[in-house]
Amino acid sequence: MHASDRHTWLTPVLAYLAAALILAFLSHSLPRMLPGDFVTAMYGASDVTLTPQQAADLRALYQDDSGFMAFLGRVFCLDWGYSYAFLAPVSALFFDALPWTLVLMGTAHVLSSILGFVLGVEAAWRRGTRTEKAGVGLMTVLEGIPELCSGVLLLLVFALNLGWFPAAGAQTAYADYTFLQQAADRLHHLALPLTTLVLAYFPGNFLLARAGMVMVMKSPFVLTARAKGLPPIRVRYAHAARNALLPLVTRFGLRFAFMITGALVVETLFSYPGLGTLLFNAIAMRDLPLIQGIVLAASIMVLGINLALEFVYILLDPRVAHAS
Amino acid sequence: MRITIKKLTVQYTEDDHSLLALDRVNLTLAPGRITALVGESGSGKTTLGKAIMGLLPDNAKVKGEIFLDQDNLLAFDEARMTPIRWAKAAMVFQNGAANLNPVHRLKHQVAEPLIQRGTPKKQALELAETRLKAMGLARELADRYPHELSGGQVQRGLLAMGLILDPPLLILDEPTAALDAVTKSFVADVIQQCRAQNKSILLITHDLDLAGALADDIAVLYLGQVMEHLPGRDLLEHPAHPYTLALARAFPTMDAVRDLGGIRGDAFYRMVHAHAADNGHTHVHTHVAAPDAFHQGGHAPPEGCLFQPRCTQAIPACSLGSVAMEITPEGDHRVRCLRGGIAQALHFEQVTKSYGKITALYPTDLTLMAGEVFCLVGETGSGKTTLAMIAAGAVSPDQGTRFFQGRDMDLWMKKDAAALASRIGIIYQNPAESVSHRLTVFEIVAEPLRIHNTVRDESALADRVKAALSDVHLSCAPEFLKRYPHELNMGAIQRVCLARALVHEPDLLVADEPTSALDPSVQAKVLKMLLTLQIEKGVTLLFVTHNIGLARKVADRIGVMSGGRIIETGPAARIINHPAHEYTRTLIRSAQGLIRPRAPVSSSV
Repeated sequence: MHASDRHTWLTPVLAYLAAALILAFLSHSLPRMLPGDFVTAMYGASDVTLTPQQAADLRALYQDDSGFMAFLGRVFCLDWGYSYAFLAPVSALFFDALPWTLVLMGTAHVLSSILGFVLGVEAAWRRGTRTEKAGVGLMTVLEGIPELCSGVLLLLVFALNLGWFPAAGAQTAYADYTFLQQAADRLHHLALPLTTLVLAYFPGNFLLARAGMVMVMKSPFVLTARAKGLPPIRVRYAHAARNALLPLVTRFGLRFAFMITGALVVETLFSYPGLGTLLFNAIAMRDLPLIQGIVLAASIMVLGINLALEFVYILLDPRVAHAS
Repeated sequence: MRITIKKLTVQYTEDDHSLLALDRVNLTLAPGRITALVGESGSGKTTLGKAIMGLLPDNAKVKGEIFLDQDNLLAFDEARMTPIRWAKAAMVFQNGAANLNPVHRLKHQVAEPLIQRGTPKKQALELAETRLKAMGLARELADRYPHELSGGQVQRGLLAMGLILDPPLLILDEPTAALDAVTKSFVADVIQQCRAQNKSILLITHDLDLAGALADDIAVLYLGQVMEHLPGRDLLEHPAHPYTLALARAFPTMDAVRDLGGIRGDAFYRMVHAHAADNGHTHVHTHVAAPDAFHQGGHAPPEGCLFQPRCTQAIPACSLGSVAMEITPEGDHRVRCLRGGIAQALHFEQVTKSYGKITALYPTDLTLMAGEVFCLVGETGSGKTTLAMIAAGAVSPDQGTRFFQGRDMDLWMKKDAAALASRIGIIYQNPAESVSHRLTVFEIVAEPLRIHNTVRDESALADRVKAALSDVHLSCAPEFLKRYPHELNMGAIQRVCLARALVHEPDLLVADEPTSALDPSVQAKVLKMLLTLQIEKGVTLLFVTHNIGLARKVADRIGVMSGGRIIETGPAARIINHPAHEYTRTLIRSAQGLIRPRAPVSSSV
């Protein structure tokens, strides 16, 4: 392996590791900078009055006086503290909710990226036609509609009025289903929140892919590809679209950073048992350890995905390796 | 494979007008022949190449026929063109690396057409590597991405890619632009090998050296029209069209000795657009105009020769009607020129002159072509000034005939001496003595106009004088116009003389040692100005000097005089680099001898 190759992968890994450490440090020290303590934070605004003994007991149970290194060690061991609202370990709550969010958000991201990319490429290829102009107009409008709005509309029309889809939850509770029936049931529940998210994310991807493709199509190498007598579909995808892909991948990574906030709105709206709902409840109940755990874990996940994308860039565009 | 292009017209439609890129172009590409297409940028060269490949953009309107053997390609749709591309006709595009996909390895791009046509991938890649190796790109380079290759390597790669399917027609668009000399000669070798393999080759280039050296036939394109078809070897030596000559003069060859001359004016675009006419109908017409201001003045005539506004030998008829391609008397060129190609400005047959017993000029033949700079070089008393003054019409020869613009000068002089004189300007050796001391600057420059009565209106006259003065970079301020010659330095007086000589826009300028009275720095300035004006005004210049070093920097052609005879004439580069006559050699040797390298002055402090 060349020294330059090592340089290519080592630098981003170190940078992301540093970012993760900083995150962990902030997550450790910020709550300690709050005025008062956990107990004041929890009960300060409520009508409950604690005896000094009760306050001391609660403090002993919840307050974490360990130093940063000990904290870091516990983060690694998945010991993220104890949620007093749900009376369960934070990590257990997190890993219960995570798969649901991954299914919803991951599918939404992948689906909206593929859909936006293919339609964007095809639209750029048909640039100037009436279909393309109408498509761009529609996407621009859709891009402006927030997921809260489209989610409520979908809920009203397809769940409450037409009754085609369930209005809440991720699966039918206590049902005795076979594996296939269960899968179908979950998909049925997934349909509306997923549609909401795809509608929110896909127009942006479409517009980005189309704009990138329009630029790439002016490049001389696309003309060369046509001159080489290649079939149109190969010219379009292997040569033109391949070069319009990079901004889309960047957007994919950036969008993942909004995973939690995105989930917050849609999951809450559809009472979907994911991280968003969990975070919403934690905030509503002032469950500091849970908030802290979710935010830290989710941030590190976003960092990890972006680190992975660094390597995808190099695979997609060999010029990136030289740029750094 | 024979490509026959007939009356190919391409028009690019913009919002409210069109650009006429090609105008009824006829061209034949034959197997085993290299056909070069030369011309300034914007002349439509690349459009022609793309038209053959069927790769013109959607806003291009194409008329005419492009026959590939028996098939008219212009009748083919995209689906029928696809199998023809690269297999029958391949194109190496200009601008190197931009034509390669940045995210694919070179060898994959080279092998791609093979793979798409059914060759197994492994085999295709092997063949691509072999071909790249033959182009001088080792396996390691074949594996690289385009951005990891140098300009020369990319060009070699593009050639390998173009030849991968062994197409019978190869179109090369500026294959050597931005290449170093070594790679350039390698590319030239490859092109010649392709000719040996009986391919038809279209070489699009602005490199006249390359075109002259490689091409069997050359088409010179100007604003979408073919101006001249000529054999390749004649491009630099014997062009027949004034435009071809102008291109050749502007091109830096290795043995050019004179300063490069541009072509006056600019090549504009040919606009086709609709105007509302008085009767309410719209009428569509074509004209030549600057790209940024095509609705304002400067509309060149929609009719007549396209090159006429920039031509050095245009006559009034040139701006009327259309000009057809004509075969030159020699039969090997076809030119689009009303005057049958580059015209003679001046032609002497057996002209003699003696003063009493002294023979100043023995029977002499001399021809000046329109728009050229001809230098008469020789020592004092060799007859240079006599010949120059005979050319200017100031001295009559004893015997022989003189023709000016194809007309017998003596007959013309008898009929209308003033008309003849108004077409010739003269600058004399000694500026101080060639102006009247009783006239102001204004009167000196205005005098030729008054004599020929060309401008009657006094304010128009003042405008002409001021324009002439600003042409020679002199002030037009009233105080300056009122000055007398003795108030000016030598350089300024000679510039006033230059303004006087050019004020009535002559076709021939005779300059007799115009700078020998000036010190070197002023001489350099006046000469630069003279040569710039020569190109701008398109005037033929007969330049007399005893200084062959000066002639070398100024002349297109040189005539060497000695003892009342022209002993040698030829292109300046040939006279200077390969003088044929002993006297010329002596002249050059002595000119060089004057500037002997001196021993370095020791700078001891």
